[in-house]
Amino acid sequence: MFRNRREGLALALPAAIFSTLLFLVPVAILLSEAFRSDTGFSLQGYVDFFASPLNRSVFLRTLKLGVLVAGSAAIIGYAAAFCIVNLPGKARGTVFGMVVLPLMISPVARTYAWIVILGRTGIVNDAIVGLGLSASPIRLLFTETAVFLGLLQLFLPLMIISLVSAMENIPRDVIPAARVLGASWLNVFFKVILPLTKEGLVIGGTLVFTGALTAYITPAILGGSKVLMLETLLYQKVNVSNDFVSASVIAMILIAMSFAANLVLKRIATARS
Amino acid sequence: MSDTFVQLTDLTLTYGKNIAVPALNLSIREGELIALLGPSGCGKTTTMRAIAGLLAPASGSIHIDGRDVTRLAANKRGIGLVFQSYALFPHLNAFENVAFGLRLQKLPEAEIKSRTEQGMATVGLSGFEGRKPAEMSGGQQQRLALARSLVMRPKVLLLDEPLSNLDARLRLEMRTELQRVQKETGVTMVFVTHDQAEALALADRIVLMQQGKIEQLGTPAQLYAQPETAFAAEFMGFENIFKVAGDSVQNDHGSLPLGYRPDSAILAWRPDGVRVGQGPHQGRVTACSFAGGHREYVIDSALGPVKANADIALPEAQIGDSLSFDLPQATARPLRA
Ligand SMILES: Nc1ncnc2c1ncn2[C@@H]1O[C@H](COP(=O)(O)OP(=O)(O)OP(=O)(O)O)[C@@H](O)[C@H]1O
Ligand SMILES: [Mg+2]
Repeated sequence: MFRNRREGLALALPAAIFSTLLFLVPVAILLSEAFRSDTGFSLQGYVDFFASPLNRSVFLRTLKLGVLVAGSAAIIGYAAAFCIVNLPGKARGTVFGMVVLPLMISPVARTYAWIVILGRTGIVNDAIVGLGLSASPIRLLFTETAVFLGLLQLFLPLMIISLVSAMENIPRDVIPAARVLGASWLNVFFKVILPLTKEGLVIGGTLVFTGALTAYITPAILGGSKVLMLETLLYQKVNVSNDFVSASVIAMILIAMSFAANLVLKRIATARS
Repeated sequence: MSDTFVQLTDLTLTYGKNIAVPALNLSIREGELIALLGPSGCGKTTTMRAIAGLLAPASGSIHIDGRDVTRLAANKRGIGLVFQSYALFPHLNAFENVAFGLRLQKLPEAEIKSRTEQGMATVGLSGFEGRKPAEMSGGQQQRLALARSLVMRPKVLLLDEPLSNLDARLRLEMRTELQRVQKETGVTMVFVTHDQAEALALADRIVLMQQGKIEQLGTPAQLYAQPETAFAAEFMGFENIFKVAGDSVQNDHGSLPLGYRPDSAILAWRPDGVRVGQGPHQGRVTACSFAGGHREYVIDSALGPVKANADIALPEAQIGDSLSFDLPQATARPLRA
């Protein structure tokens, strides 16, 4: 394509300079905080961070919700993607458009919609009280469930999109062939669909997990200070307690978790076949 | 009939609002080799998918071995289907493709291995076990798909153009192999082909389909010698088909007197059946090609182009030459409208 390598590299130069100067350098400076102490290089920041029971529980909750959101998105996503790819042309475009649509709406608006549903005078509580299941409204907001639902709703489209494009690449008639050879639908899923869509699952899973870890608005609105996540904790450290070392440590942990998730997913994907 | 093995009754198959196959009736005997013959889009694949359980009929029923399987799931029918598109598993190597169904049956590993290896040997693919389908030629993939179905030892084997991608020699070899397997195992086979010669060579009976309907059903000899409709005749190589009006034949181009009065609505002649070099009719040669034992002429006549084969012993006519010919009663095939 290019006459020589240098010409190709020249085209990548602006992007490289831009991300080095404006992204990598500041991030590196910021993150180096996480390894610094009065005496030079140190992991003391991490030791201190994990020494706090509050921090530990926030870390575990973030991990748990990330895994749950990614796992649920995968299950719902496979079902949805399978339906979508099997729809006839026109309906398929419409449904796929409906999946993509939420991505065009601000996460703030999408998250506030949950307040209408889960708030004290929201739809669900109105129904619960109306049906006499409870005398007074129950607390639905500021729970892990609320954060879970909010994050799932936020990131499910990414999983569905990844899986739909993966499934579109399954050759025609391969699933019918497995059926005729005696495969139950469960067998079809594990022996044909999953191995042939694992790249899509790895991409979707990483996107959703990382998204759930790093979302700020949703846990802030739906969880508040009752259901702290690493991201909301990080914000507190910076803006409330001015504790930049802890903030950097949290940022490092988040990055490490995203990379770890990607590695784990790839591992699972290759181990299956 | 007691030896009916596969019975399709008023089978109607639709894609949304489109009716692909309206009310098909067909009984196939045990151990029979049926060829489904017909033009592209006439519903051959659709019918096979329905028999295999991949397409729920809009109405009608399917019985296999006396049992109503109309509502039975595809994975419980015990039917083999070789797909027109091969439908091999791209993530599995050749061995695992063939072993796929056997593994689902949870057979002992040793049996899986021996049956898979035997299956691959049957289609001449020994040594290809470790290859992925993407690393095989079209013909090899097609044979792999065949092996994958054969090793399952199905009661009914449906083959959707299983030999279409093979060269002439391999095709003949596979054809013989299929016949051998069929004789040996007594499996009931339904075989889709576009190739009239293949259907004639292989089948016990031929089902000729058009637009989802059975146009004619019969032994190869019956279909070859006694097609009943213009469509069937055309498919069986009657290239000269004309409407009858009194004692002459006619088409959009014009008419020719026959000198006899046929009692059918349509008459058809194979190129072999048209006599060349003598006869009451005249035409101009517009094409001539050498075909080994005979010459193939296209003669422009009052009926437009007439296709005729002439013995090689007769003197050769050049393009533009005038040639006399006859449409004899003896070689005419009467057809119904
Ligand atoms: N998935 C589908 N959706 C809608 N219509 C279809 C579908 N598959 C086939 N058809 C239509 O049904 C009719 C029968 O198709 P079918 O595939 O059975 O033809 P065929 O006889 O196998 O043709 P070929 O020899 O080209 O394979 C055709 O008119 C085709 O357009
Ligand atoms: Mg077909």
